[in-house]
Amino acid sequence: MEAGRALGDVRTWGPLLFFQMRRLGVDSVPIAVFIAVFTGIVLALLSSYIFTGAVPLYFVGALVGKTVMMELGPVLTGMALAGRVGANIAAELGTMKVTEQVDALETLAYDKYSYLVVPRVLAATLMFPVVTAFAMAVGVTAGWITAINLLDLSTPEFLKGLRMFYQFKDIWFGLVKSASFGAAVALMGCLRGLGSEGGAQGVGAATTRAVVLGCEAILVLDAFWALVLL
Amino acid sequence: MRRSNEFAVGLAVILALALVIGGALWLSETEINQKSAKYTARFRDIGGLSVGAPVTLRGVKVGRVEQIRLAPNEWVETDFSIDRDTHLPEKPAVIASSASLFGEWAANIVPLEPLPDDPILRGMLTEAARPAGGVWPGATLPDIGQLTAQASRIAGDIADVTQRIRGAFDTTALRELRQSVKDLAAISDRLVVFANQQTNRLDRVGQRVESSSNSIANVAQTFERASQQLDAATRDGQLKDIMDNGKASSADVRAAAADLRSVMAAARSNQASLVRVIQSADSLMQKIQSGQGTIGLLATDSTLYRETTLTMRQFRELLTDIQAHPRKYLKVSVF
Repeated sequence: MEAGRALGDVRTWGPLLFFQMRRLGVDSVPIAVFIAVFTGIVLALLSSYIFTGAVPLYFVGALVGKTVMMELGPVLTGMALAGRVGANIAAELGTMKVTEQVDALETLAYDKYSYLVVPRVLAATLMFPVVTAFAMAVGVTAGWITAINLLDLSTPEFLKGLRMFYQFKDIWFGLVKSASFGAAVALMGCLRGLGSEGGAQGVGAATTRAVVLGCEAILVLDAFWALVLL
Repeated sequence: MRRSNEFAVGLAVILALALVIGGALWLSETEINQKSAKYTARFRDIGGLSVGAPVTLRGVKVGRVEQIRLAPNEWVETDFSIDRDTHLPEKPAVIASSASLFGEWAANIVPLEPLPDDPILRGMLTEAARPAGGVWPGATLPDIGQLTAQASRIAGDIADVTQRIRGAFDTTALRELRQSVKDLAAISDRLVVFANQQTNRLDRVGQRVESSSNSIANVAQTFERASQQLDAATRDGQLKDIMDNGKASSADVRAAAADLRSVMAAARSNQASLVRVIQSADSLMQKIQSGQGTIGLLATDSTLYRETTLTMRQFRELLTDIQAHPRKYLKVSVF
């Protein structure tokens, strides 16, 4: 509730937003791309292994495209960012909490939600789709290159499969999911960080808890969006 | 630092947007500069056709399905984007059909005329071809699932029939069937023996029939030749001449018969005198033979014959001498 009310305090969180977007989003692109590359490779190889025989091999394109855009791109990216971003936020805010920096901010009349929570949650919500978009593009491209070089598949065949069942919904479904993942991961990090108690041990526990809750939230939201949007 | 953050974030967002928008357009094969034209077809049922499905012309992909919507009067209208360079049939129609065993469907553009042989397809296209403001007629072929369901029903029917046959052919029926087969084999053996016995007779009858047939053929040939000759004679007028001659001869014969009848009548009337003449001639001939009278003597005595012969010889000699020496016997003097 208080975080929602803090959304109106743009003058507080506005200047901090781009910094958080860079830290949580742009700086996370390499790890997301790294995961996407190997996801695409493995998907192409796995699908060719599954489709050998009865199913035409050009379905590799369809499977890689659909899976990367709708499921593995957003979820694996979300999981990776849950570890990186969620842990980062929980550790940072937890440290501030146990060292009473949060209390100091409040003493200086800063709203902790406007100053600490909203820019992080907004940045994660906005940047997770951006990172996921890169992951989607890289994952499909990696699967394409793998199919051409390691499988007996040509580019027209791969594209035929890729385009065969493509719908624009495949893309926006993944992006919407990833935005919700970003919000959930950031919220869990903020909640567990601001709720940490004790010393370094409390911060560590809060960080671990934030990552676990973030991953659980991603899986729950993934099922939720599948039920709602598909 | 703040500028750096804004630049990095802005760059990332722009790149992501470009990737998303460009990728979506590329994957959906959307053309910004509108190289394709839009057409609409209507179907009663589109089967498994979906947005993005390929549109083919003679097996070559020329476009894609853009939109599918329900239309009034229980129609389904489908929009296609087709390359502008494509030469479409004069009266196009669209047949939606399954493109593979894996649920892919395609819209195939075909010429409406001539209509396909399949009566169901023909009926669907004819119904959809009724005036609809430039909308192409469409029809749908049954998909693999429907065909499989139909095959399943047929298999079920066959199973029922098999079950009934199995019920009908119980042990007793099988025993009777075996006995019937044995009886049939015995009858067959008897028929073979009978056939062997009758074969020689049939051969003879056949030979006779063949010779009779040859004779009839010869007669027919002869008759044909006679017919040809008769035809030729008739054609040349010879038969007419023969008939005319026959008619004239008949008239002559009739006239001769009439003369003969008159001669016979005369002879009958002079029969008595003729008998007498004959009797007289007979007695005369008897007298001559017996050497009575002058003629009898002439006929029976050779002296006269020899003297006559001598006289004739002397006469010829005389004539020869006259011819050789005419002045000896003839003397002509004028003065």
